[in-house]
Amino acid sequence: MGDAMGDGMGDAVRRVVIIGGGSAGWLVAAVLAVDHAAATAEGLQITLLEAPGIPPIGVGEGTWPSMRDTLRKIGLAEADLVRDCDAAFKQGSRFDGWVSGAAGDHYSHPFALPQGYTEADLVGTWLARHADQPFAEVVSFQPRLCAHGLAPKQVTTPEYAAVANYGYHFDAGKFGLLLRRHCTEQLGVRHVCDEMIGVQSHANGDIASLQTRAHGALAADLFIDCTGLPSLLLGQHYGVPLVSQRQVLFNDRALALQVPYPQPDSPIASQTLATAQGNGWIWDIGLPTRRGVGHVYSSAHCSDDAAEQALRRHIRASGGPDDLPAARQLRFEPGYRAEFWHRNCVAIGLSSGFIEPLEASALALIELSVHALSAQMPATRAAMDIVARQFNEAFSYRWERVIDFLKLHYALSQRRDTDYWRDHTAAASMPERLRELLTLWRHRPPSHYDLACIEEVFPSASYQYILYGMGFRPEAGSRRREDPALAERCFQEAAALAARMRPALPGNRALITHIQRHGLPKI
Amino acid sequence: MTNTVLLNNVDHHDLRLRTQRSAAWGDGVMLAHAVPAEFRELQAHYPIVFQKSADGTTFHPVALLGFQDGQNLFLDADGWDAGYLPLAIEREPFLIGRDGGELLVHVDLDSPRLSRSDGEPLFLPHGGTTDTLERINSVLLALHEGLQATPAFVAALLAHDLLESFVLDVEQPDGSQQRLAGFYTIAEERLAALDGAALAQLHRAGHLQAVFMAVASLSNLAALIERQNRRLAGGA
Repeated sequence: MGDAMGDGMGDAVRRVVIIGGGSAGWLVAAVLAVDHAAATAEGLQITLLEAPGIPPIGVGEGTWPSMRDTLRKIGLAEADLVRDCDAAFKQGSRFDGWVSGAAGDHYSHPFALPQGYTEADLVGTWLARHADQPFAEVVSFQPRLCAHGLAPKQVTTPEYAAVANYGYHFDAGKFGLLLRRHCTEQLGVRHVCDEMIGVQSHANGDIASLQTRAHGALAADLFIDCTGLPSLLLGQHYGVPLVSQRQVLFNDRALALQVPYPQPDSPIASQTLATAQGNGWIWDIGLPTRRGVGHVYSSAHCSDDAAEQALRRHIRASGGPDDLPAARQLRFEPGYRAEFWHRNCVAIGLSSGFIEPLEASALALIELSVHALSAQMPATRAAMDIVARQFNEAFSYRWERVIDFLKLHYALSQRRDTDYWRDHTAAASMPERLRELLTLWRHRPPSHYDLACIEEVFPSASYQYILYGMGFRPEAGSRRREDPALAERCFQEAAALAARMRPALPGNRALITHIQRHGLPKI
Repeated sequence: MTNTVLLNNVDHHDLRLRTQRSAAWGDGVMLAHAVPAEFRELQAHYPIVFQKSADGTTFHPVALLGFQDGQNLFLDADGWDAGYLPLAIEREPFLIGRDGGELLVHVDLDSPRLSRSDGEPLFLPHGGTTDTLERINSVLLALHEGLQATPAFVAALLAHDLLESFVLDVEQPDGSQQRLAGFYTIAEERLAALDGAALAQLHRAGHLQAVFMAVASLSNLAALIERQNRRLAGGA
């Protein structure tokens, strides 16, 4: 199909087609629709093309607290999320067996910042006076709430408001369905359920339209590829290559199982449990109706059979049944695309890259991508190449930081029990920038100076939780001195908060049951 | 703490009610539950605010009498310093109980407000009711009807998004800050932005006057702060 304008430059961007109906596609549709008034005649026209009967990928069921802002922004009731998506509250992660692999080896990465994070020398004072206790438990009240399976808020706390910072665990398939209903019924998004059978291009190489089986050609000014791992537009149509990160993060397969609770009212864990294995790690996520458990591992180090045996051992040891069906397998090449926005096509979600689901980075990157896209939505085709360049620079940076941050979980391990851990701790597998940061952190804690972006994927406090949780100890001899009394007051405040919150907060399950019955107050 | 029984003129023929207002008789409270039907009287003296129910599912109006637990700034040595007593205060220590379909007066026999020696008698020598008990009956009835009407009133406020959270920071004479939090007030900006149809709906349902009475009542916050300042200055 030709273009009367020749190269199409200067045309206003008025129509967007999103291809792919998973949580990425519908989240993109919702945010764009709200920000760009899709429900009005003057607004952006948004169409989502979804192939019928494509099963959603069952990983990435954890979110960061940023999801609360995203959902509030698109006007979804939090009670609907809890009721319709099998959602539970997540206050962070616990890492078992990552430091030494010995019994009792664990540390926490809570979502709440350390008490008085920017006000006092917490790290220096902790090292000098409390280094015998875990860092996260000295500086934050939250690990104590998680240890008791408590909810992050009370029944009277308004929707999306927190007593203790939180994100979610949910069923990503159901999340996509809830967003779909919200987008089509409330936000003016057009939904086309059909299969794409071809791509038509303008002479300049821009995509002109997507050819469908029954709905003809869907023309648009901007196309958003949310097709998941197949990356139909960016990867397959444009051939933008994947930059493999296998040399840094080896995990390339996952086996996932749904595990029923022993009782309908069994407690729901308040945090993601990540248990290190000989050749990978196992995620364990508590939803209201079941646990989602999976083993992500390196096929270069471990056979599928051995991985499945390790998964079943973990499930048995954690009180799950023996007679579960076969695990579902996912294979992926760890890495991200060389660029994410090419010509008039942006990839968001797994189509732009996928890395093991440690630290719930997948949904966090989707949120960052759609907010960046929405804020920078080019008004014309002429503006699009400039926006695309900015977007590509920003997200290459973010992917690199995700890789660095995930590698930090492995790089400091004392485990040498398998080739997997020996390879993970070998200098050759370390990204250059992480190596530099670790050099700096020998003398001072991670800070915002190390993370120069306005919207970093992970805050500097998270680097501190992982670094000191993994047993990293800086060298003595910093001349910088701050008043330890100030830090001690922060530690006391954290302990006092934990003591005050414990009797006042319901259990995670009790709050979810209450919300399912009564909803949440809006104010 | 409470010992609630059905009031009757046999067991309770010599029961008397202490009608003076005093912390000793249980009046030292920072708030009184309020019903929309008395907002007109309340707003002449007290700020009317809203409190979330313990299960988070609804709200109820209260008249503010102080800024912290146990502080009632309307109580002094001479009694209650305001021309109108909230129904929920005046009804003490009586309450309405249901026996089958019938509403019957009950009494908390553990209340310090009751006596067999001093105060106003409840029953006449031959078992009839005194004016004091008649008055209690009418207060209880008004309160009961008001409580029946409150859920619809609050539902209308929520439906029009007319409640908002409110925090009051009171600077004490010594410069320290006291914070009143956990209460809600009418969202005046959203009230002002309601269209004619929404206003007509509130009016027809009989809620509109109470909404504006609650708005007007907030001018009593300054007077309540002044009461506290006078008390702190006087060392009382």
